[in-house]
Amino acid sequence: MQLGGPPRCPRSGPSPQGPRSSPRHVKFANSPQSQPRRPRSPGSAEPSGVRGSTRPRRCDSPRRVWPAALVRCGGRFWISRRPPSPKARCPAPRRPAASPDAKSPASAGTSPGHQPGATRGAVAGDGSARGRAEMHGEVLPGQRAGKMAAPMELFCWSGGWGLPSVDLDSLAVLTYARFTGAPLKVHKITNPWRSPSGTLPALQTSHGEVISVPHKIITHLRKEKYNADYDLSARQGADTLAFMSLLEEKLLPVLIHTFWIDTKNYVEVTRKWYAEAMPFPLNFFLPGRMQRQYMERLQLLCGAHRPEDEEELEKELYREARECLTLLSQRLGSQKFFFGDAPASLDAFVFSYLVLLLQVKLPSGKLQVHLRGLHNLCAYCSHIQSLYFPWDGAEVPPPRQTPAGPETEEEPYRRRNQILSVLAGLAAMVGYALLSGIVSIQRATPARAPGTQALGMAEEDEEE
Amino acid sequence: MSLVAEAFVSQIAGKVPFIHVGNQVVSELGPIVQFVKAKGHSLSDRLDEVQKAEMKAYMELVNNMLLTAELYLQWCDEATVGEITHARYGSPYPWPLNHILAYQKQWEVKRKMKAIGWGKKTLDQVLEDVDQCCQALSQRLGTQPYFFNKQPTELDALVFGHLYTILTTQLTNDELSEKVKNYSNLLAFCRRIEQHYFEDHGRGRLS
Repeated sequence: MQLGGPPRCPRSGPSPQGPRSSPRHVKFANSPQSQPRRPRSPGSAEPSGVRGSTRPRRCDSPRRVWPAALVRCGGRFWISRRPPSPKARCPAPRRPAASPDAKSPASAGTSPGHQPGATRGAVAGDGSARGRAEMHGEVLPGQRAGKMAAPMELFCWSGGWGLPSVDLDSLAVLTYARFTGAPLKVHKITNPWRSPSGTLPALQTSHGEVISVPHKIITHLRKEKYNADYDLSARQGADTLAFMSLLEEKLLPVLIHTFWIDTKNYVEVTRKWYAEAMPFPLNFFLPGRMQRQYMERLQLLCGAHRPEDEEELEKELYREARECLTLLSQRLGSQKFFFGDAPASLDAFVFSYLVLLLQVKLPSGKLQVHLRGLHNLCAYCSHIQSLYFPWDGAEVPPPRQTPAGPETEEEPYRRRNQILSVLAGLAAMVGYALLSGIVSIQRATPARAPGTQALGMAEEDEEE
Repeated sequence: MSLVAEAFVSQIAGKVPFIHVGNQVVSELGPIVQFVKAKGHSLSDRLDEVQKAEMKAYMELVNNMLLTAELYLQWCDEATVGEITHARYGSPYPWPLNHILAYQKQWEVKRKMKAIGWGKKTLDQVLEDVDQCCQALSQRLGTQPYFFNKQPTELDALVFGHLYTILTTQLTNDELSEKVKNYSNLLAFCRRIEQHYFEDHGRGRLS
């Protein structure tokens, strides 16, 4: 399900993007000129636009064989913090304007031309712009009133399987950004080679520096004063470290195993998604390469402990993971978040692990059964999801509401492409036939004369 | 234990520490704890669920940070590797096997470091991580005698083992032990355990 839009030239230059991008951006301020909340100042699109234009991408319509909807994958949406100020109301009237515009081929809104691969992030992206509008007037727990900062860009894997992102690290960083309301320009892409560091997730800071380790990204966000942990006590901070280590040691191997090593899951879910999402030449070899990397990582993580046969190891892994989940459940108890009422960085990580295990429909989901039995963790996940990723749930309705729109817009182009290609084929064939002499066109008159003579003779024959 | 004996033992059991009970050999902390628990002795029975969760989490923290930092220091810090580790690791073997195996082990450890993301870390960053870990432990310990108040648990044993080793092993640079010494309650904790449980070995090495 992909929202439509004609193939758009993602980037033609910095300035035009600015003003035209505004309807696309349900943007709530963050202009680097530190004007308070002038939501639709074109100038504020500028820096990102400028930044984006340093990597001009050509419009790839000749190569585009998929429906244009996928441009959304390069879509840019502003996640900013909303201060609980009256100015926050301002963008609200834009919301209805934003929604239809969001579907329009207002290509300008899209980002510094990311080579759009067929991606399901399309819907996610679009929906999120709307969702952002919905999140608009209220400050959600954890977000703080605005502090202006130069926009940072986050590149991460796009969404799929009903999640905002399919990759664990990207999901964690995204969730943390949502918790703190950091003004990030999120680029959901499916081509890791397009990211500034070659891997995803990657954060490009306002100084142009690129950070690609998730923990460091979060540290950077903290330094920029988007800190979800600022009111944790020292003891809670220590607990955070401890539980993150627990997650990394016990849950991460199992997550890797479930998605990348377990054959059924890998073939039917993971590889399928990545192969379909990635653009043309990459989808043949990149998923396989990623799998090899993960396998090696898993071996190094666990091989140190017990290099026994695989089945034993697997059982051991899953047992420890189940234990870890139970521990998490016990620690969470009946609280809303791990440390009270406001989410912290630990919640971002736990959420990303759990939601991947819970939500994705896996053919062999051994942990899912156990996890579903831990009701407080399930409630925790759905609570965070409904609060911070509301458009995920809304992902289904919007496409249903707008099937006509994108399709009719898509139609003329698709039809046109089809007709053009048929004509081109015909012209090629005819031209070749003529040139190589298979078919030759002769003068009409000599051909007709014998014909009329023949007719005359036939008449005479008949008369006679 | 002399260097040679230690290396010799580690070859036999595969891993130290290990215990030999009857005809069973159980190695490494986790299985040993389980084994002892199965025999009916457990230190963490009186903890409630939340505390057990915290205990496991902190044990993982120690394993994750301290153990990896120790490995890093042993195998990825050139100075230490050259002066101490190679000699120690290769001591039971004749030349050239001692060099070959030492290099092989070093390569393996470096690969592992890369896989968990420590490959690009400098020594300073590693020390900073250790500092963070010690800070977390120190904050968790607070002013209590043990991590879970009055009685020691597996976590106390693990932390003591690591910290004691760090504090008493002579390395080329003392920065690691300096980091630990910054936290007075951790020092006091180690001293207390040493005096309480190891005092029959004469004066402790933690002066």
